[in-house]
Amino acid sequence: MERRGAALAGLDRALPVWAAAALVLVFLMALPLGWLAHMSVTAERGGFTLGHYTAVFADPALQRALWNTVVLAFWVGLVSVAVGAPLAWLTARTDVPGRGLIRGLVLASFVTPPFLGAFAWVMLAGPNAGYLNRLWRSVTGAEAPLVNIFSMPGLIFVVAVYTFPYVYIMVANTLALIASDVEEAAAMLGAGRLAVALTITFPMVLPALVSGFILSVLQALALFGSPAILALPAGFHTVTTQIWSLFQFPPKVEMAAAFSVPLLLATVVLLYLQKRLLGRRGYAAVGGKGGQRRVIPLGPWRYPALGACLVVMACAIFLPYGMLAKAAFSRAWAQPLTWGNLTLGNFAFTFFEYSATRAAIVNTLELGFLTATVGAALVGLLAYIASRRLVLGHQVVAFLALVPVVIPGVVLAVALFIAYTRPPFVLYGTLWILFVAYLTKEMPVGYAQSDATFRGIPPDLEEAGRILGAGRLRVLRDITAPLARSGVIAAWCFIFIGVIRELSASIILFTPNTKVMSVVLFDLKEEGQFGAIAVLGLVMLALTFATVTLVQAALGRDVLGARD
Amino acid sequence: MPRRALALVLVAALALLAAAPALAQAPNLEAAKKEGKVVWYTSLALPSAEKVAKLFEAAYPGIKVEVHRTGSQRILQRVMQELQANIKNADVVHTSDAGHFVLLKEKKLLARYVPKGVEGFPAGFKDQDGYYFGLRATVNVIAYNTQKVSAAEAPKTWKDLLDPKWKGKLVTAHPGYSGVIATHVLALVHLYGWEYFQALAKNNLMLVQSAVDPSGTVASGERPVAVNGGEYTFYQIKKKGNPVEIVYPKEGVPLVVSPTAITVFAPHPNAARLFTDFSFTKEVQQVMADSEGLYTGHPEVKYPADKPKLGELKLLAPDADELEKRSEEIKKRFVEFFGA
Amino acid sequence: MPGITLRGLGKRYGGVAALDNLSLDVRPGELVALLGPSGCGKTTTLRLVAGFLKPDTGEIRVGERLLSSPASVVPPERRRMAMIFQSYALWPHMTVAQNVGYGLRFQRGVARAERARRVAGMLKVARLDGLEARYPGELSGGQQQRVAVARALVVEPEILLLDEPLSNLDANLREEMRFEIRRLHEAFHITTLYVTHDQAEAMVISDRIAVLNRGRLAQVGTADALFEAPRTRFVAEFIGKTNVVEGVALSGDTIVRDGLRLRVAGGGLAAGARVAVSIRPHLIALVAPAVGGADALRGTVKRVAFLGDGVDYEVEVAGADLTLRVAAPTSPRLRPGEAVGLRIDPAACVRLAEDDAPGAS
Repeated sequence: MERRGAALAGLDRALPVWAAAALVLVFLMALPLGWLAHMSVTAERGGFTLGHYTAVFADPALQRALWNTVVLAFWVGLVSVAVGAPLAWLTARTDVPGRGLIRGLVLASFVTPPFLGAFAWVMLAGPNAGYLNRLWRSVTGAEAPLVNIFSMPGLIFVVAVYTFPYVYIMVANTLALIASDVEEAAAMLGAGRLAVALTITFPMVLPALVSGFILSVLQALALFGSPAILALPAGFHTVTTQIWSLFQFPPKVEMAAAFSVPLLLATVVLLYLQKRLLGRRGYAAVGGKGGQRRVIPLGPWRYPALGACLVVMACAIFLPYGMLAKAAFSRAWAQPLTWGNLTLGNFAFTFFEYSATRAAIVNTLELGFLTATVGAALVGLLAYIASRRLVLGHQVVAFLALVPVVIPGVVLAVALFIAYTRPPFVLYGTLWILFVAYLTKEMPVGYAQSDATFRGIPPDLEEAGRILGAGRLRVLRDITAPLARSGVIAAWCFIFIGVIRELSASIILFTPNTKVMSVVLFDLKEEGQFGAIAVLGLVMLALTFATVTLVQAALGRDVLGARD
Repeated sequence: MPRRALALVLVAALALLAAAPALAQAPNLEAAKKEGKVVWYTSLALPSAEKVAKLFEAAYPGIKVEVHRTGSQRILQRVMQELQANIKNADVVHTSDAGHFVLLKEKKLLARYVPKGVEGFPAGFKDQDGYYFGLRATVNVIAYNTQKVSAAEAPKTWKDLLDPKWKGKLVTAHPGYSGVIATHVLALVHLYGWEYFQALAKNNLMLVQSAVDPSGTVASGERPVAVNGGEYTFYQIKKKGNPVEIVYPKEGVPLVVSPTAITVFAPHPNAARLFTDFSFTKEVQQVMADSEGLYTGHPEVKYPADKPKLGELKLLAPDADELEKRSEEIKKRFVEFFGA
Repeated sequence: MPGITLRGLGKRYGGVAALDNLSLDVRPGELVALLGPSGCGKTTTLRLVAGFLKPDTGEIRVGERLLSSPASVVPPERRRMAMIFQSYALWPHMTVAQNVGYGLRFQRGVARAERARRVAGMLKVARLDGLEARYPGELSGGQQQRVAVARALVVEPEILLLDEPLSNLDANLREEMRFEIRRLHEAFHITTLYVTHDQAEAMVISDRIAVLNRGRLAQVGTADALFEAPRTRFVAEFIGKTNVVEGVALSGDTIVRDGLRLRVAGGGLAAGARVAVSIRPHLIALVAPAVGGADALRGTVKRVAFLGDGVDYEVEVAGADLTLRVAAPTSPRLRPGEAVGLRIDPAACVRLAEDDAPGAS
């Protein structure tokens, strides 16, 4: 086929749009990251120095934090693969009962803010007061706790139960695209079941598996909330909590900047690896018509398999959600739920006595709506420009829109803090700095969604309108917009969900007047106000699931996105 | 040398004049109402802070109190960070780290204001130059969960906590977050040196942030014994029927006087003065003693019968200047021993 | 009814020429097929004519109107054209009637009632009546195709452009639609450019065929002319089956290859020159091996394929490293290994020019 045209006649008119988009992207990223790099090599009295780097990497405490992060990320990746891949196979290929339910629960764990899970697991598996441990003691009479959540394994566990969906999504979507006939082709040539799995299915899923592993590792690297909740009480730091604590008084912003760079580099390298992996073998082999997928009967293993799935879901959803609900309605969360312990007091305290709550909910919603609306419009525009090759350099637009993926929230926040606490843009202290942070952070997700949307609308449809007499804008209104609507709504929702749960950047950028829900939750955690945490957490979950429902309605499929 | 004497008098008079407005400016109710609110950065436990705010709002309808509650160190960090970005937000600053006020005063960030009714307060509650005053006080204590630990085996002294039998059973709050705990650490360093904390760390303590948090941790039984924490938080949680008992070690208890001050850049100065006066009234001071279990400097305040009087306790009171100077060292060494 | 004039048209992508110096006249009311393998530049040509692309060189006129030149391009919506896309490009959110009626919204002086009347009329012609309220997703492939045709024709365009409109249909329907499109063309006589890679389709549908190869025009002419007198080896091989024999000219009308001598009608060969000729399989006669004659060759049957209405033979020619394909009636049937005589009329040997495009085979 001949290549589609580059500029659709009229480069000049599109130029201001292109320039504006480029400017926005520079404003969002180049400025903060430039400052970050600058700050990390600038001596206190000005002039170039590598002193911050040597100071950071010579400090044994910071070295330990670095090592802890490596251990955490690696194990989270492994556990996510070990849990996510079999689950994906079970739901995509076998006749395990309740596949729709399991898929729904994976989705729920995907959108659950991980720090809420961490709070709940503190109440569930604190070594002494934790529910599960008390149950264990009363059943066995043992002295020692069953599990101690305040530990590296505990942290790995809690992070992994909300990270495995990344592996699940990659693997399930790949399995859904591999037609059974490629496996049967091997079986016809004499390969046994195991041989087919090892020589055909596994190699085809491998890129997705590794890709899921890398995504999980990246999540674990960038996460702030869970380590802050679980690692700090156990007396160890990760890179993110260390960066945050470098911001405590007296702030050592240069050190934080210098310490952010390895995190940034690690993310860049990992994402590059993932891209190459997917690019090389990709899903290329998966084409062809008649992609029949035959269900593998599990026979007597059906119910044990379901049981295994439910155990995972209990860890991710049932237990934590149940614990939050219980804590929200009890006077003392550690005591049994009796009539005497039942109360609505936590709700009253959270909404009426604690003055920060309502302002924070308002801030969060404002930021959510604003960021999602501006963000959806921006990524829609960028994706349209890129997919229709409207301007020269459209590849650059696409690349820049996806770049923030490599910036962990804490690092982004450090960069934004440095950039926007000084002229010409003093945004610190206003909601705008959070807006900029959220817009930057959520842009890749929104862009990916919008890009898929516009790729799903063949340019033919627009050209057919043009040739029949409709101008470019008329075509945009009559044809492109109605077809893109559900995709744009989905992008809006993805950004909105991302914003209301954002903690790692907010925790550095908030001021008392610009607190958001996640920050209030974190404040409450430092006071040990578990009842209020539970109440606010439930509000956050309700908001999230309402939005998810909206996406599903808009897209007509679930957000995990297998193309059936 | 009359002329020199005259000059001296003049200089003194000018200095007085310069200082006078701050001293003399009684809060103007009308102006305060026009300002409409007062922004209070406070480390007072959240429910207590909200209670004081509600009382003020009831007494002065039309003036709202914006409570921003976080740990003492976070408050200082916020104030400094905001100033760096040229944000003027806080009217009244209240933390449990007296060192903060030495620092803020030095940096000329505090307005001079002597609240009404502090004349009778003990000297330890007053800045001689009139910039900050102790709003409340508490002592650091040991506390234990009575369901997990019997009174007989409970630790009686700070040194008892070093016993290996407490391994995995102790909780501490963080001097990098809480001024109460920073004061506590300095007081015990005076008593036993850093070796004490080095030995204590061997018992694998759970680290929480706020000086409020150990009370919850002990009440829930997550860790049966707290090695520090504001006495008032234990007292409150005990009053609510939780199985918590307080131990006042006989070596002495670190006294933490938590000062309050008005910032020099206060956007609502009248409301700030009104609020500060209000917080030193007997009414509010009595509330702090009654429902919060705090100590105060107010001479007329009556304390609950089930609490020792301040006079009955051996008090360890580190100097505010020293606290300010050694604050970095305290945090750094604590992190060195306890890991985070 | 204007025609289309393309003059020296060129288009490059990066460093690669997609189209190079193409000149072509489409006469008023004529249907010209642009035929060639994928990547030959036919779709680029169509999109240049539609105004979706801007030429790097050359110009496009419709009648006397200059529509495209490197300096300016009249946008697609003002070219008074219609186009039928390979994918049909039906708008999934509009009903059949809305799809068909969309183009009329932009025609001045067409009142709403008139619009509805014309849509209804066109739907009837396209045998779509009764389906007005359906959405494209609810139609069969053939119905979708007819909606695309109706949508293009209802605006009564000056020029109609078709981009492989039949390639998404299954074989039977495709055959049927070829005649349908030809019938519509004869009814409306709209000047039409038709892009296809299927030579049979081009031969059935078009008045003339323009064969493109590697961005250049290889030859243009009627189906008969292209088949009987291909100018280049590429055209000869692309239009129908053929044997290409390469040799050296011995005299003005004879070429030799090893022990093989072939007479070529027309003469005028330069002695010693390398010459290639095309010989259509059906123009080679199989005779008894004993039958001699000046044009007779001898060979051995290598392979036989029965095609129902005829038989395809591969015959190895004696004395030359050469295998010829021969199309013959079903009887008499020869078997592999049999000796056979071949007779080739000098008029059947069409001399081929070197291909224009460098490196073409």
